[in-house]
Amino acid sequence: MNTLKLGLAYGLLSTRRRAGALVLPVVTTATGAFLLVLVLGMASGISSQAAALGHADEIERAVVLIAVTVLLVGVVEVAVSTTRTVVHRTRELGVLSATGVPRPPVVAALLVEPVFASVVGAVVGSVAAVGVAAVLGATGAAASGVSAGGITGGVVLAVVVSAVAALATSIVPTWRAASRPPIRSLSTGV
Amino acid sequence: MTLAAENSTAGTTTQPVVQVTGAWKLHKLGEEVVKALVDADLTVLPGEFVCLMGPSGSGKSTLLNIIGGLDRPTKGTVVINGTDTATLTESQFAALRHDTVGFIFQSYNLIPFLSAVENVELPLMFEPYDRAALRRRALELLELVGLGHRVDHSPTKMSGGEQQRTAIARSLISNPKLILADEPTANLDHRTGATVVRLLRDLCTDLGVTVVASTHDPTVAEEASRVVRMKDGAIDGTA
Repeated sequence: MNTLKLGLAYGLLSTRRRAGALVLPVVTTATGAFLLVLVLGMASGISSQAAALGHADEIERAVVLIAVTVLLVGVVEVAVSTTRTVVHRTRELGVLSATGVPRPPVVAALLVEPVFASVVGAVVGSVAAVGVAAVLGATGAAASGVSAGGITGGVVLAVVVSAVAALATSIVPTWRAASRPPIRSLSTGV
Repeated sequence: MTLAAENSTAGTTTQPVVQVTGAWKLHKLGEEVVKALVDADLTVLPGEFVCLMGPSGSGKSTLLNIIGGLDRPTKGTVVINGTDTATLTESQFAALRHDTVGFIFQSYNLIPFLSAVENVELPLMFEPYDRAALRRRALELLELVGLGHRVDHSPTKMSGGEQQRTAIARSLISNPKLILADEPTANLDHRTGATVVRLLRDLCTDLGVTVVASTHDPTVAEEASRVVRMKDGAIDGTA
């Protein structure tokens, strides 16, 4: 347990020192989160407007489809950026394995950055979406209105899904890379 | 007289630090099978400075990687400090490396976002050691390799020789019995390379560490207690 904590401490240190490398994954995740929060914020307004027009079911299905599509695109974006991070740190992983550092703290250390970048990206995207939603609501630009409940749900979903997606998509390649002979990480790492 | 010779004349039964027997490494490239290592036997006794010499592709690095468990042999046995590595899992081999082996790479392999002293601490950074004691030990090792004035520098702001000496200090942090150095002078100019080789030799003579180095560089061979020549993946002779 103690070595895992030390692995996480190393992960936080490397995340702080590699701040420049976080820009792209943060921007990528923020884009997905922004769209998700905005779609969910406007979903209930669109649904009730559609109900008034008598097309509730079709519009409801379309809104759910758009939301799910945005969510999936967001997950793919997170997966791409976390995979990129893992690939870029393969040589570092090889060095740690070659010097005899045990696998669990190494994997824990390398998971901190993608999870951190995804959560920060989701928060940044959500904040931007809340800002845009507020402007749309205040100016009446969104004819169907923006619901606070939808926005809140969107923010929670964006942050949770981003964190889980980052963890799920980085843990397998990192664990696999840490399980093979270190020469492969040292010779294939960027 | 080399330490190996002294052991032999004294008739003692010193346990080898490295014992490689009948080691093969085959790679499959499409339909072709490449023999990277062919039936290699090598015994290294404590305190020796063994130099593996040969042209590119002769199997020096492959043998070194197999000794250190960075790669596994296709066939044959590797015994490190009395432990047969054939049945070890990657985790168990990592533990053996941690306690027994230090690595020095041709391209240094320092972590660019860590300072010199943090790079030296790296192998023990994940263990619950007293941080102040670990820092003192890392600083001592940087002093030992003549880098006491560069402790807070990032590897990107250090010369090749300084980076390699930092890597040597890193390889010593766990008090290893065995140092494996893969082309340690290949990226260095002649003078800096000579400094690094003298440092490796001093590790053997002053600290009793066993060193196995692969190289093209004749200056490394001049300082070694034994030169093992390799050709086409096989051991071609010992001098």
